[in-house]
Amino acid sequence: MDAQHTPEKSITPTYKDEQGHFHGDTTTLFGRTINMNVYTVVFLALGLFTIIEVLLFELPRGFLTIPLMLGLALVKAGLVVYFYMHLNKDSRLFAVALLVPTVMVALATLFLMIVPTGY
Amino acid sequence: MSDVSQTVGIEQTPQTPLPAGYPHTKGAQAENLKFAFWLYLASEVVIFATMIATFIVFRLHNPEVVKQVHEAANILLVTANTFLLLTSSWAMVMGLRAIQRNDQSGLIKWFSFMAVLGTIFVLLQYVEYQELAHLGIAIYNQGNQFDGFGMRFYAPTAFHGVHVIVGVLWGLWIINNARKGAYSSSNYAGVEAFGLYWHFVDVVWVILFTFLYLV
Repeated sequence: MDAQHTPEKSITPTYKDEQGHFHGDTTTLFGRTINMNVYTVVFLALGLFTIIEVLLFELPRGFLTIPLMLGLALVKAGLVVYFYMHLNKDSRLFAVALLVPTVMVALATLFLMIVPTGY
Repeated sequence: MSDVSQTVGIEQTPQTPLPAGYPHTKGAQAENLKFAFWLYLASEVVIFATMIATFIVFRLHNPEVVKQVHEAANILLVTANTFLLLTSSWAMVMGLRAIQRNDQSGLIKWFSFMAVLGTIFVLLQYVEYQELAHLGIAIYNQGNQFDGFGMRFYAPTAFHGVHVIVGVLWGLWIINNARKGAYSSSNYAGVEAFGLYWHFVDVVWVILFTFLYLV
């Protein structure tokens, strides 16, 4: 957070080059260039993963159903945090601020799951 | 400020230079605002995670109750609501992208779209609550088949709903500011902070949707 090292990226257009042209209207995915910005690609991925989740819910349950659903939820949350909340570009400190309480509460939840709770 | 102090006779203190390393650039102030907002979101993580943890523990000990609710609940309605919130998050980030390009009208357009979607989300959540109430799922059920479920379900979803309502109001306030020309490609820290809030609300719903409705 030192002022000397704080980038000016948050107050300047992210996709503007020296000639004043904007970039970021295409996305490279698995080596292929898609004519959509990354936010739209992420949105479509979120929609697809949600449909898969609901289909898994409707299908007969197997031993992998719940782990798959939880995995998809984590991937969706990760996509939003990484791309929409700009953790891919912002300071790592922001990620730490989010991850520390998340990990702590996850550990507390796991602890609660293995101890008798009186239900 | 100086006019007011002269009028009421307040003694003016000479301006002292800021200490070395003090964030005096606009970029540093924006970064600090974002960091402060991340710390706020961290506190929200703890609140929501505690509610979700309570539900998980209940679900582990009462799988039949949760299964009955899942069979009775209108999953299509909740899925539609999920898509509304995902779309609103996309609209939010597109609005931010617009103001990064100095496109004021784009910001207003995308944020208006976002506010409409958020409002519909809240209305559909009300419809869902009505349906659940007709099924007999109340905040406090004692003695029937949903005993203990309601409180653990309504607390996180209603708390999230309040966040959506606050987000919609905040979004409308940003739209109002944008109409007055308050934001530009060199001044959008307030928009970015709101974006963090709205996306966080979206992330929480992604987790709630899976844990409360699907698993």
